[in-house]
Amino acid sequence: MPDTHIALREAAAGYGDRLVFEGLTLEIPAGQVTALCGPNGCGKSTALKAVRRLLPLRHGAALLGDRPVTERSARTLAREIAMLGQTPEAPGDLTVRDLVGLGRYAHASRFTGPGAVDRAAVDAALSAVDLSDLADRPIAALSGGQLQRAWLAMTVAQEAPAILLDEPTNHLDIAHARETLDLVRRLAHEMGRTVVVVLHDLNLAARFADRLVLFRDGRVAGQGPVSEVFRPELISHVFDVGCEIVMTSVGPMVVPFKNSRAAAQDGQRKAA
Amino acid sequence: MNVTVTRLGLLGMLLMAVLVTGIGTGSSFLGPDRVMAALLGTGERMDMVIVWTLRLPRVALAALAGAALALSGALLQRATRNPLAAPSVLGITDGAAVGVLMFLTIFSDAANHLTVPVAWQPAFAGLGATSFALLVLLLGGKHRADPLRLLLYGVALAALAKAIVVLLLIVGPVYRASQALIWLAGSVQAAQSRDVVLLGSVLGLSLPVLILLARPLDQLRLDPDSAFATGLPVAAVRGAALALAVVLAAGAVSVAGGIGFVGLLAPHAARLLFGSRAAPQLIGAALLGAAMTTGADLLVRLAFQPLEVPVGAVTAALGAPFFLWLLNRRGDPHA
Repeated sequence: MPDTHIALREAAAGYGDRLVFEGLTLEIPAGQVTALCGPNGCGKSTALKAVRRLLPLRHGAALLGDRPVTERSARTLAREIAMLGQTPEAPGDLTVRDLVGLGRYAHASRFTGPGAVDRAAVDAALSAVDLSDLADRPIAALSGGQLQRAWLAMTVAQEAPAILLDEPTNHLDIAHARETLDLVRRLAHEMGRTVVVVLHDLNLAARFADRLVLFRDGRVAGQGPVSEVFRPELISHVFDVGCEIVMTSVGPMVVPFKNSRAAAQDGQRKAA
Repeated sequence: MNVTVTRLGLLGMLLMAVLVTGIGTGSSFLGPDRVMAALLGTGERMDMVIVWTLRLPRVALAALAGAALALSGALLQRATRNPLAAPSVLGITDGAAVGVLMFLTIFSDAANHLTVPVAWQPAFAGLGATSFALLVLLLGGKHRADPLRLLLYGVALAALAKAIVVLLLIVGPVYRASQALIWLAGSVQAAQSRDVVLLGSVLGLSLPVLILLARPLDQLRLDPDSAFATGLPVAAVRGAALALAVVLAAGAVSVAGGIGFVGLLAPHAARLLFGSRAAPQLIGAALLGAAMTTGADLLVRLAFQPLEVPVGAVTAALGAPFFLWLLNRRGDPHA
């Protein structure tokens, strides 16, 4: 297994009086695609925010390499970890190129603004998400899928070794979802980035990620290579739904049973 | 980009025209040529006195107050990501009013004469504005992720300030009340050169901070999480923008009173004209705010002579319908 790039150690975090997770320990290896999956409200998005220091930890530590993420300035941390949230917002009059250019904030000179290096990074990111033709269009005039890709390009342009993506395929049709996840794989396997991606769709996760982390109620129910974690009894336990895994030409797919509760027992028995 | 420069140029010319007309208008009318000559120091002796001593302080104060309020509003709207933020909403204007009423109440003797020079009034206005703004920021600052809460605290404290003002008006002598009412509505009628110097210095000192804030404010067009993820120290930038907004508004209100709606309207109009980029929007808002206030003051002098109607009454009368239209309009909610 490659070196650990990002880790949570005995971490606790939450909103107001409610803790979303506590005692969470998580290891993200370098240069791979790690997918975080689990039911709604299980803590996967919160874990991502805690790693990116968008949410303070009540307990424990979020580590980048062997140092806590709290030891860096906002600017330095941005050169190390980029993140795309679930509902990013920007004014509609920004062009696609403007938006992607905002990803260069941590690199561009404070006084002279963006330079040739920054413009090159923006162009590269635009072509990576196939938006070069729409670069000068205001983002208000984009379709949902195009907008999502523009945001992804902003995150790519940041050129951080680690990238965190919270449901990047949310607004995408299956073709663009596949393209986006292809790009995610290229970022890891060809460009050596560490990618952590929260995905709702287990089948997409199993197909495109190297590793899976399954969350349930703020705890890690299982983590490891897809082949070890993508098993019916574990998935049944995490989602409370009976299922089986079928092999297809592109890889394993999970298929839930019709009557979830009753069949959950059944699925577990069958698997055992 | 070229469109932006052209529009800024046109706005600048509009402001110049309003300024020159404003200086030329009065009991004796001066044409633009005579105003310019006097401003450049080559005019006749009489024109020089009229322009420099009688008219310039009032026009300059109106322009500076409008620019300061507009900049303050633009900063507040950006820092809170709320298009309804304005100096009056954060309790700044009403806080200044409390300061002025306190001053008039504490330092009046039994015969309604001030026991200290009236020059101290701006100091008390500034003090009131700053303390109410600090109170709003302290209470609302606990929830730094929620700018809406900041505005709600502002509205609540502004209501409290208004109550204190009414109370002081009622218990105070009638003569003082009428004095205070003119100030409350915002007026540049009694402008002094020292007021112009004071507000000019506040604006001048804010300029370097504004220049440093331009790029961070551009980045703050992203939602706070995305802005932080791209490397912006969001809390620090917000804090700096809010502090500067308080200083600018307190400066304007302390010498020119509660001129309403300029701080809300000018940034919006600039946003419509120049889009969301910080530098052109801020420059445009300052020019528009200056032109609006100077224009409103000109209107006051032309339409209501010899009555002294406060300029704030005109900006409010014109601004309120625009505000309603804005509330009614659907579209991009983020300034």
